[in-house]
Amino acid sequence: MDQLPNLGREQEMLDSMGLKSIDDLFSDIPEGVRRVDRLPLREPQSEEEIWADAQHLLGANIDLDSRPSFLSAGLARNFVPTMVPMLATRGEFLTSYTPYQPEVSQGMLQAMWEFQTMVSELVGLPVSNVSMYDASTAAAEAITCAVRVKGRKATQKGVVYVSQFVPPHRLSVIENYTQGVGIELRTLEHDSNGRVNLEAASSAEGACAVYVEQPNAFGELDEGITRLKEIIGENTALIVGVDAVSLGIVEAPGNYGADIVVGEGQPFGIGPTAGGPIYGLFACKKDYLRLMPGRIVGKTLDEDGKDAFTLTLSTREQHIRRHRATSNICSNETLIALMGAMHMALLGPEGLERLALRVAATTEIAKQAICGINGVELVDPDTPNFREFAVKLPSDASDAVTHMDAAGVLGGFPMGEWWDSMSSCLLIGCDERTTKSDIDALVSALSAWVEEVSA
Amino acid sequence: MSDIFEFNGAKGSGWSQPEPMKEDAINTVPTSLRRSNLPRWPRASEPELVRHYTLLSQRNFGIDTGFYPLGSCTMKHNPRINERVVQLPGIDRIHPLQPEHQIQGLLSIYYEMQEMLAICAGMDEVTLQPVAGAQGEFTAIRCIQEYHRRNGDVQRDKVIVPDSAHGTNPASAAMCGYEIVEIPSGEDGRLDLDALRAAVGDDTAAMMITNPSTLGIFEPEIAEAAEIVHAAGGQMYYDGANFNAILGKTDPGRMGFDAVHYNLHKTFSQPHGGGGPGSGPIGVKAHLADFLPSPIADREEAADGGATGDGYRYFWRTPTDSIGKVQQWHGNAGAVVRAWAYYRRYGRELELMSEHAVLNANYLRHQIMNPTQEQLNSIHSMPVDGAPADFVKHEFTLSMMPLKETTGVTGKDIAKRLLDYGYMSPTLYFPMIVPECLMIEPTETESREVLDKFASDFLTILSEDPEVVQSAPHDTDVRRVDEVLAARSLVLRKQFDD
Repeated sequence: MDQLPNLGREQEMLDSMGLKSIDDLFSDIPEGVRRVDRLPLREPQSEEEIWADAQHLLGANIDLDSRPSFLSAGLARNFVPTMVPMLATRGEFLTSYTPYQPEVSQGMLQAMWEFQTMVSELVGLPVSNVSMYDASTAAAEAITCAVRVKGRKATQKGVVYVSQFVPPHRLSVIENYTQGVGIELRTLEHDSNGRVNLEAASSAEGACAVYVEQPNAFGELDEGITRLKEIIGENTALIVGVDAVSLGIVEAPGNYGADIVVGEGQPFGIGPTAGGPIYGLFACKKDYLRLMPGRIVGKTLDEDGKDAFTLTLSTREQHIRRHRATSNICSNETLIALMGAMHMALLGPEGLERLALRVAATTEIAKQAICGINGVELVDPDTPNFREFAVKLPSDASDAVTHMDAAGVLGGFPMGEWWDSMSSCLLIGCDERTTKSDIDALVSALSAWVEEVSA
Repeated sequence: MSDIFEFNGAKGSGWSQPEPMKEDAINTVPTSLRRSNLPRWPRASEPELVRHYTLLSQRNFGIDTGFYPLGSCTMKHNPRINERVVQLPGIDRIHPLQPEHQIQGLLSIYYEMQEMLAICAGMDEVTLQPVAGAQGEFTAIRCIQEYHRRNGDVQRDKVIVPDSAHGTNPASAAMCGYEIVEIPSGEDGRLDLDALRAAVGDDTAAMMITNPSTLGIFEPEIAEAAEIVHAAGGQMYYDGANFNAILGKTDPGRMGFDAVHYNLHKTFSQPHGGGGPGSGPIGVKAHLADFLPSPIADREEAADGGATGDGYRYFWRTPTDSIGKVQQWHGNAGAVVRAWAYYRRYGRELELMSEHAVLNANYLRHQIMNPTQEQLNSIHSMPVDGAPADFVKHEFTLSMMPLKETTGVTGKDIAKRLLDYGYMSPTLYFPMIVPECLMIEPTETESREVLDKFASDFLTILSEDPEVVQSAPHDTDVRRVDEVLAARSLVLRKQFDD
C-alpha cells in the first residue's frame, strides 16, 4: 500500500505508547456497534491496474469530441486552454484548504480577488463571491438572499416571481432551497414569442424578487428584460441568470438594473465533465453584500503595512453564525473558479468578444441550415438566439435523437424530457467549436429522419 | 507582488482563437442589447500568465508543501492517479444528458461507488448528487422532512444538534425551515443523554451528530442516543466529516443512524483545491430511499454482456417520491471518479486507512503530551486535553488555556507561530466548547518522522519567548494580516483609474 508511510512500523509506534495492538485504539467503540467482519469489497489494486480499469470504463463512454455534437442545455462543449489545467493542478493550489491562514495562502487569495474583479467586470456589478456550486444553486441562493434583503419593504411578503422558462432541473433546485423558509414562488409569464410578458411583469412590483434568464432556456435573447427593473421597481430585486460567454457581446445585466447576476461559470475553465465539478457565478450590488452567501476575499494590509489579502465578512458564514448564517455553504468550487480566472485572463476583453462572436456565428449558421429542412420549424421564429435554439419536429424529438445517434450525430436535447408539452421539440446547442461539417452532418441526419417519419 | 491587471498589452493580444465562422455575427444581437463596454480584463500573453500563476502558487501552502494538521478537514495526500484519470475524455468531455448507452462506463462507476458507500456506512441506498458536505446535510434533512410529511407528522419542526456540532449542521437544517435545538455537551465533552431526553418530543424531526465527535472522541452511548430519538419519532442523521476515523471498524447503520453524508474530499482523497470542489453523497436506510434526489444509477442484466463487459446495462432511475434536484446535473462526477480511483487502491482494505489515521493521531497526541524532562523544564505551560480520553480517534483537541494564563500566549499565537516552522496551523477555536482550542488531525499519510518533528517543534514553541510567539508569523510571505481592517474598509475588487 503506497499511500501509508507507516505501514509495517505500526508496532514500534504502538510500543512507544505502551500499547499491544491497533485494536486497543478502537477499544472505545462499544461491542454492540463494532464491525467484526471484513468489508465485503473487492481486492485492492495497484496504480497500473486502476489506470487500466479507468481507461476501459471511461473508454466505454462516447465523448462529445468524437462526433458532431449539439447537446448543450446549459453546459458548453468548450476548448479549455492547455495552460489552465496544467497550472491549476500545481500541488500548492490543488492540495490547499480554504485559506483560513492568510499569511501562507496569499496565492489563492490573490487569485480569487482577481477572479472577483473579473466577474464583477463581466456582469457589471461591484461585488462577486468566490463561487457557488453551479448556476442552479447560485440562482436558488440569489433568491433567498434577495428575500432577506427586500423582505421587510416588500408589499408581497415572501413572494418571488420565477420565469416560466427556467428549466425544470433548475426550478427543482430553487424549490428545494426555498420551500421551507416561507418563500412563495410564482410564475412570471412569457408571451407566445418566448419573451417576458412585460404587462404581466408589472404584477411583480412589490414582490421580493424576479428571476429571469438571458438568454432563456431556448437560447433566446429578450430586449424586454432590459426594461424589467423599471417595471418592478427599486423594492423588488431583479435577478438575472446569464450565459457567461454571451456577455462578450450582450449587455452586462448590471447595466440594465440587475441587482444580482448568477450563471454557469463552466464555459470558462473546465470541460463539461459530466456535469461537475463546475461553478456558479454570483455577483450583486453593494446592498446585498452583508446578506449574500459564499466566501469573499478582501484586500488589506499586514502588520508591516504590506498589501495582503484575506477572507472577509465571515460573520455571515455557518462556521461563525451557525443556524443564523446566510447560507450553509462551506466547501465551494474554488479550484474551478481559479481555472475560470486563468481562462478569462488568457482571453482578455477582445478574446471574450471574439469567443462570443464565434458562438453567435455558429448558432446563426446552424439555425439557418436547420430551418431549411422541410417540416422543421423554429419554436419562436422571430427571436435572436445565442448558443441554443429550439425547433419543432414533425414527430417525437427523442425518436429523432435516437435516429441521429445511429448516424453518429449527437443531435441535441429532446425537450419533452423537460416539458411534456414539448415532446416534439429539439434543443440544438452550438459552441465555438462547431464546424461547417458538423452542421452538414446534423442537417443530413435530421433530414433523413424527417423523411422517414414523414413518409 | 503585482496583480494580474497590471498586464495591459495591446488590444486584442492574448490567447489566439480562430475567426468567427461568420463575419457579421454581431447582428444576431439586437442593437439595444449589445454590450457597450468590454470588461476590463487583463491583456496578457501566455508566458506572462504562466509566470503570474506559478508565482501565486508559490505563495500558497498545500499538503504537497508541508504537514497540514487541520482538524476536521482530513488533509490527506491526494494521489496523482486521480488527476490523471479525470483528464480522460470519457469524463472530461462528457455531457450529463447524453443518452445512457453513451455513458455506460460513467454509470457503472456511479453504481460501484453507490454500492461501496452504502456498504461502508451500513446504509441501503446512496445518491452521489450533493456536491459538498453541507449540501449532503441539506439533502438528507430534506429527505427526512418529506418522510415526516408523508407520515402526516407535520408538527415535527425541530432539529437537535449538540453544541460541539459543525456549523453546517444547524445552518443546513435552518435552510429547510427547521428550528434548531442545541443541547449542551456533558462535562467530559461527551453527548449528555439526559440533555437529549429533555430535548426530544413529538416536535423532533431529527438529530444531527458526528461520531467520533468534533473532539475526536467516540461517543460511547451513541446507540442509546439513537434509541431515545427514535422512540420520540425522530430520525438520526450522521455527519460523515469524521468518517475517516471508523471506516471498517463500525458504521453509522450499526450505531442506529437513518441517514449519513460522506465527504469524498475528506475520506476519499478528492483534493480540497483551496476551498472546493467537494462532493457530499448521502446514504439512507430503506425507509428514506424513495425521497432521494433524482436520478441515481441502477442496472439490469444485459444479454449481450453490456457495454463495459460486466454483464449489465446501466441506467438512471428516479426514486418514486424524489425531492428532485439539489445540483442541476448528477453531482460532481469528476470528484466521484477521483474517489473511485482512490477506493480501488484500498478495496476491502479500506479499514487500513482508518487504522493508520487513528494510529497517527494517538501517536502524535502521545508525543506532544509526554515531553522529556528536559523539554518540560523549559516549557511555560503544557496544554490540556480538550476532553479526557484514553484514546482518540482520527483527531484530538488541546486547550492552550494554561499557557494563556501563565504567559498571555493564545491558541491563535501558537497557530501563527507554527506557520514559521513550515506547518499549516491546526483548526483554531473549534469546537467552541474547548477554550483556546487547537484541533489536530494528522491523517494516515504522514510518516512517523513528520509526527515526531512536529511534536518536537510544537513543544519548542511552548518554551519560546512569549513575545516571539505573540508577534508570529515572522517568516511568511506576509506578516499577521489585518482582518479587522479588511472588514472595515472593504476592498473586494480592483479599482481602475480610468
